[in-house]
This record gives sequence, C-alpha cells and structure tokens, in this order.
Amino acid sequence: MPTPQKPRTFTFISRSAPYGNNRPRLCLGAALATAVFEQKVNYLFMDDGVFQLLANQNADGIASKTLGNALETLELYGIDQVMVLKESLASRHISSEDLLFPVQLLSNSDLQSLIESSDYVINL
Amino acid sequence: MSTLHTLNKAPSAQLLASCIKTLCKGDGLIFIEDGVYHVLEAALLESIPAKVAVYALREDISARGLTDKCDESVELVGYRHFVELCVEHEKIVSWF
Repeated sequence: MPTPQKPRTFTFISRSAPYGNNRPRLCLGAALATAVFEQKVNYLFMDDGVFQLLANQNADGIASKTLGNALETLELYGIDQVMVLKESLASRHISSEDLLFPVQLLSNSDLQSLIESSDYVINL
Repeated sequence: MSTLHTLNKAPSAQLLASCIKTLCKGDGLIFIEDGVYHVLEAALLESIPAKVAVYALREDISARGLTDKCDESVELVGYRHFVELCVEHEKIVSWF
C-alpha cells in the first residue's frame, strides 16, 4: 500500500466580479475539486472579487445563475478558511455587514503571511 | 447631436475618467454589466457634469445585490427604457 502523502496547503485567490466573466466559477470549481482530494484549502476574495460576496444577489434578470448560492458550497466541501482582504472592501465602500456570510477579514500583512505559508497559490 | 454612452466595466478599470472628458450637455450615460458597480462610488459620480443624465440597468443592479446601495444621482431603468434611450440619442459610444 502506498504511503498517503501529507496534505498540501492550496490558496485560491478570486479577483473578478461575479457575472462579467467566468473566472469566479472556475476558481470555485478548482477549489472544490482540491478539497475533495483532502488538501488544505484557503479561499481569498480580493480586488473586484469581493463583489461576489454581496448579499441579495439575484441573477434571474440577466439569464445567469446567482453566484452567491454556489459560494455556500465552500462550507459543504469543508473549506472553512474563507477570507476577504479588508482593503478591497474598504476601497469599494462595502462593509462586512453587507456580505452573504461571515468571513475572516485580512490585513495586507495577513495576506503576505498567507501566501508565504501556502504550498500552492492559484490566482484567478 | 446628443450621445448615449454605455460603460460596462467596474470602477477598477478606471474608464469613467476618460468617459467624463467626452461628455457634452444633454448626453446620457448608462452603466451596464459590471459598470453598475459605479453606483457605489458617490465621489466619482459627483464628477459627472450636471447636465448629463445618469442611468443604470436595473437587471444588472439586482443581479449584483446593489438595489439598496444605489447612489441617488443614478436613475434605474429596465431593458425597455434602455432601448428607448438608444433610439432617442443620435449615436452611442461604448466604454469597455
């Protein structure tokens, strides 16, 4: 029997707004697949990616699926390290109360340590 | 000759500054797609000349959860009104 490999730490950074392109969905899909393989997954929203987390989204009118519903699958797949860069929220005039669910707020120095402590960083 | 300007990228693309330089009295400016995130930018919106009517597409606003966060200076319009605006103005300039 092969010896099981030690889980690696993957950090996914989602930086696009929810409906303008399909990067947010690709990033989410890759993170969920990684979690299935029992790796340690961090999920970070920064830049325009923080718009994905705004509450009360309803994409019926633009013939798309509402992304907020899909983001709730992060928890179902055991991804509990869901983070937002504080600076990206502030510069877009969004408060943490405007978000879909509670997330960890990261300072810029927290971000540096997050990247430093990750084995792989996927930036989408 | 009045012009309707459409803008479809988020403020991070910094298109509005270029667009504003081209706006004339009587023009219209409509935010569509990711452009609707401009409704959060009160200070930026103030730099738009007062004689320009500013709109945002309602369907894109509600998709993105912005219905209650819209700046008062922006009028929400549906697809039908968007078509009317396209017809009322002599030409359309797209910012993308």
